[in-house]
Amino acid sequence: MHLYMIEITLKEGIDAPEFLIKTAAQYLRSNNHNWVPIIVKEVEEDKYEVIGNSYVYAVAEAAKLEKVWCIIADTTRETDELTKILAGEKTPKINLSTATIDDIKAALQYLIEKPGSFLKGVNLLIAATRIDTASDRKYWKNLEPITKLKCGITASKLEALAEAFYLTPEPEPVLDLQSLTVTQLKDLAKQRGIKGYSKKKKSALIELLS
Amino acid sequence: MIEIEAVLANLPSNAQKSIVSTIFMPTLFKTLGFNETTIFPNYNTECGYVDFALRPHQDNEIFLQTGTNPSVLVEISGRNINLREGTAQYKTVVSQLKTYLLSPKCKSATWGIITNSCHLQLFRKHGKVIHPATQCLEISNNNINDIVNIIRQKIHSPSTALTVAIYNNKGGVGKTTTTVNLAAVLTAWGKRVLVVDFDPNQKDLTSCLGVSLGQNTFYELLEDKKNLIPLEKVIKPYTIRFKRKKTLTFDVIPCDEKLETQKEHEYLQIFKINRLKQILDKLKPNYDYILIDSPPNWRFFSISATTAADVVLIPTKHNDIFSLKNAANTIKQYIPEVQEFKKDGTPIALPIFWNGEKATAAAKEQARKAIDIIIEQAKKDNPPFDLLPYFYSRYTRDSQNRYIFELPSYANIANATFSQIPAVYRDKIACDYYLALVKEYFLQ
Repeated sequence: MHLYMIEITLKEGIDAPEFLIKTAAQYLRSNNHNWVPIIVKEVEEDKYEVIGNSYVYAVAEAAKLEKVWCIIADTTRETDELTKILAGEKTPKINLSTATIDDIKAALQYLIEKPGSFLKGVNLLIAATRIDTASDRKYWKNLEPITKLKCGITASKLEALAEAFYLTPEPEPVLDLQSLTVTQLKDLAKQRGIKGYSKKKKSALIELLS
Repeated sequence: MIEIEAVLANLPSNAQKSIVSTIFMPTLFKTLGFNETTIFPNYNTECGYVDFALRPHQDNEIFLQTGTNPSVLVEISGRNINLREGTAQYKTVVSQLKTYLLSPKCKSATWGIITNSCHLQLFRKHGKVIHPATQCLEISNNNINDIVNIIRQKIHSPSTALTVAIYNNKGGVGKTTTTVNLAAVLTAWGKRVLVVDFDPNQKDLTSCLGVSLGQNTFYELLEDKKNLIPLEKVIKPYTIRFKRKKTLTFDVIPCDEKLETQKEHEYLQIFKINRLKQILDKLKPNYDYILIDSPPNWRFFSISATTAADVVLIPTKHNDIFSLKNAANTIKQYIPEVQEFKKDGTPIALPIFWNGEKATAAAKEQARKAIDIIIEQAKKDNPPFDLLPYFYSRYTRDSQNRYIFELPSYANIANATFSQIPAVYRDKIACDYYLALVKEYFLQ
């Protein structure tokens, strides 16, 4: 649809360099027809919001175009996310709770090789293998256990990881503490970061852990 | 006439897929031992729909109702599709079948069949490895019954080891190191492993594990045509003790000095080329993996090892053009010779990997350019050979992905040989690297 620019708003500003926007605007002015459509959704009658290809919107604005070609999509959140992913404005995420080692490797490689990435020095094979083989990966509620794997990913780098991974943790199985040995109970206490477990007897340990 | 021969004879010569599917397949499945409740048509693998999924009958569960844990996946084509081996249509169908077999929902599937009622081929899946279990057979009234019997036997027998020959005609690429550490990491992962040292010139595998020679040496076993020598006497267990009384063990058939004494041509007079295969086939039910360390040079020992193998793993070095050229030669010349001899579709080469050299981006690009040239030259051979999937395992026309698995360079891997303990058991990073290798090629 050929819509008026004044009917369309851009919710979040765009990151593109001024040089690109201004120069592209010059190209657009000579042709006046944006062959690459802007993806919008209707928020009120005759009022639209950009959900994809915001770069084209910014260029059209700089070129002072009166009308632009748009595709009007529906207003669901899924469409919003899909459009941003297809337009390259958002990184698609994989489910770290269930991903295979190949998926983890591919995602990590993408993150490590991004220019200016915080994960620059991380050894891809080691990190991927240790994350994949972590025995309780499907129960992780957040990405913090990765810092304990000693694969070069520290707490400060977790945010960079969150760009490509999300989690759907399974509920943890209820443990029958009575059936475990003292050694296993002490290991569990150590895992959970509980202090003062080493001299305790079995009954005291069970109390500590419940 | 037997039922399946009659059905095959009655098919029109240009039968479309629907006719093959509704007329030929029910009889084929019945002859293979599957009835209505064990056949699931149009099965959703979650990577696409495969024409049929089969599972042998189990008393507590009806496959047709639950649709879980298929054993065999079957992909049908019409007679208009040419399934002769090597045609573009054959490659498409096989690639499709492999995608289905490797989907997470079909982890339990261990067999795959393709057919268009003119050709029929059985594939076996072991972990992530899919290799032919028969050649691509041209079926007719005369042979269909025998072929189906062979397939039925294979499908219904319990799973056996994957026999892997680690080979490259070029020496020094790290065959023994790879074999030892693969065995170690697979054992740590709970698999039963047998390692065979078939390099009598170097005997490196035996010495690097510090294993002594068996009571009846390997030579006598190879000579023992009447099968009087119990195999247990030749096999030696290799055990590692860890902290807290944990131990890991894998079995070794060590090399022996007598194997080095004969001259090459004399071996071929004494031993048949498939003698090693005969011996190892008897051991297949006892293990998950049998790894054979082979010497460089294409002579009696390497040929025997490759003959005994289901698949061939080829280590190379990115900075050694000869290791790459020799890999290409092995794949396009030597392995097909063995396939001709065995006539069961095996062995097949696994995609090559780069083994243990520090690699800069520029060096890797140089290696890739050299590989591109090797692939181009092979296309001009007579007959032309497509080497591409053996070098770039993830290459598709759309992605043009020239990915090659790299085992990174790490000093502790070589250093471990001085201690007679595999690097994988001494160093966590070495363990991670070989675990990545195992997950790339073998384990799902």
